[in-house]
Amino acid sequence: MNTDETSSPASLDGPLERAAFPEQLRARVVTPGFRPEVHGYDVEDDLARHYGFVDLVILSLTGELVEMEVRQAVEVALMFLAPVSVAHASVHGAVVSRLCGATTSATIGVSAIGLAEQARFELTAAEPLLSWLKRAEGPVPDAFRARSPDERATVARLLAALPTRASKHPIFSLDPAPQAACLAVLHAAGLERSDQLEAALVLARLPTTIAEGLAERPVNFAKYPIHLPPFHYRDPR
Amino acid sequence: MTEPTPIETHSAHWGFDDHRYFGHAVFEELLGRESLTGLTALSILGRRLPPDACALLDDAAVSLTLADPRIWPLKLTRLLSSYGSSVAAIAGGLLIQEHARIGPWASQEAAELLEAFHAELGPSAHPTRVEAIVRNHLTKHHFMWGFGTPFRERDERLVAFSARMRQRERDQLPYWTLFEAIAKPVVDQRKAQPNIGMGFAAACLDLGLRPQEVGPLTTFLMQHMFFAQGVEGARQASEGLRRLPDESVIFVGSTSRRSCLHSQP
Repeated sequence: MNTDETSSPASLDGPLERAAFPEQLRARVVTPGFRPEVHGYDVEDDLARHYGFVDLVILSLTGELVEMEVRQAVEVALMFLAPVSVAHASVHGAVVSRLCGATTSATIGVSAIGLAEQARFELTAAEPLLSWLKRAEGPVPDAFRARSPDERATVARLLAALPTRASKHPIFSLDPAPQAACLAVLHAAGLERSDQLEAALVLARLPTTIAEGLAERPVNFAKYPIHLPPFHYRDPR
Repeated sequence: MTEPTPIETHSAHWGFDDHRYFGHAVFEELLGRESLTGLTALSILGRRLPPDACALLDDAAVSLTLADPRIWPLKLTRLLSSYGSSVAAIAGGLLIQEHARIGPWASQEAAELLEAFHAELGPSAHPTRVEAIVRNHLTKHHFMWGFGTPFRERDERLVAFSARMRQRERDQLPYWTLFEAIAKPVVDQRKAQPNIGMGFAAACLDLGLRPQEVGPLTTFLMQHMFFAQGVEGARQASEGLRRLPDESVIFVGSTSRRSCLHSQP
C-alpha cells in the first residue's frame, strides 16, 4: 500500500501512456540550432546580407523570396496599411493596458491580440474582394470602391509610390478604396490567402500600435477620457 | 466634434454605496446569497439561475476536469508559463478556445446541432427519423460535433456526468433524450462515441440556455484547469520547457538553397 499522499508517476496509467506519439517536434520554417535557415535560406550568410525585413515577411508567409520590384510594392502597401490611430479599438486597447500599469510584455501582447482581431474582422468583411482578386475581372464589389475625394487622393499617393508593375493592377482602373488597393497589391505579391493577409496586416501595424501603447503614462487615469464613448447602463429588470 | 454613439450596457454600473450588476444591487442582493457559479451564470446569461441549476453546473465543472498538462490547449498554457508569468499563460490558453475544434466551443457547436435536430424532429423523435437525419448530416459534413473520444473507447467525463444527470433526474428532459437518441445511430454509422461536449450541450439546452451562451459558459467551467497549469508552470518556470534540445526538433521544410543575390558582395 502506498503510504504517500501522492501517487508516484509510475503507478499511473491513462490513454496518453498507452497511445503512440512521435518523439520529435516538427519545424517547417526555421531550422533549429546554429546557422539558422528560413525556408532553406541561410539567415546569416544570405538573408541578412542581401535582404530586408519585408523580404523576411514575404518569405516567411509564402515560402519564397520575390524579385525586388514585388518586394518594393509590398513594402509600400504595408506602409500604407501600417498607421492605425488610437481611435481604433486595437490601439485604444494597447493604450488602456499601459494606463492600467501593465508590463511591457502585456502591452505588446494586448497590441498583438487587438491587431489580430482587427485584421480578422477586416478580412472577413473583405471576403468578396478576396474572391474578386482571384480573377480580377469585372467590376470590383461596390463596398471596396472609394467613397470620398480623400480616399481617391490616398489611392493616388499609393499609385505614385508603387513600382510600375504593381501600379498596373486592374483594380487601379476601378476606383478602389485605399485598403482594397493595398490588399490587391499584397495579393498580387503572393499573399493570397486570408491567413497570409491577416498576418501581414498585424505585422505592418504592430510597431505603431506598440509605440502608441508604450507612450501612455501608467496610472494616468485622470487624463483618460473615461466617457469616450459614453456608456449608458440600463437595468434589465 | 461628432458626438460618439452611446453604448448601452445591461452589465454594470459603479455607484457610491452599492453597484448594479445585471439589474441587481451587488451588496444588498447578491452578497451572501449568490455563489461563484451563480455569479458567473449571471455574467454570461444576464439572468440568475436557481441553486439546483448552479449545482448542475458545478457537477459539469468537476466532470470536465481533465487537466493533464500534456493535453494541447493546456500544454500551450504550460509552454507560455515557462517564462514565469501565470496570467499571460492562462490568457494564451483561453485565447485559442473560441471556435476551436477542441475545447469548450465544441459544446456550443453541439448545442447548435441539437437545437437544429430538435427543430427538425419535433418533440417525438421516432428512431427511423433520427437515423435518417443523422445519416443526412454525416453524409453532408462527415463529422458531428460532440462525438469522438480520442485515445480511449469512451469519454469517462461523460460517464461521470451522465450518472449525476440521472441522480438529478434530468435524464428524461427533451434535449438529453434527443442526445441519447442521436448517439445510437452515430455510433452505428461512424463508430464514434459521444463525448462530454454533447452531454453538456444537452444539459444546457434543458436548462433553457441558448446555444450561443454555451461556449462562454463552458469556457468558464473549464478555466480552472488553465489556472492550474498557468500557476504551477509559472512557479516552476521550467528551463526544460522553455527551450527544448535542438535534437528534439526535426526540420521538414525546404532544403538548403541560395538566393539569387547570395554570391554578390
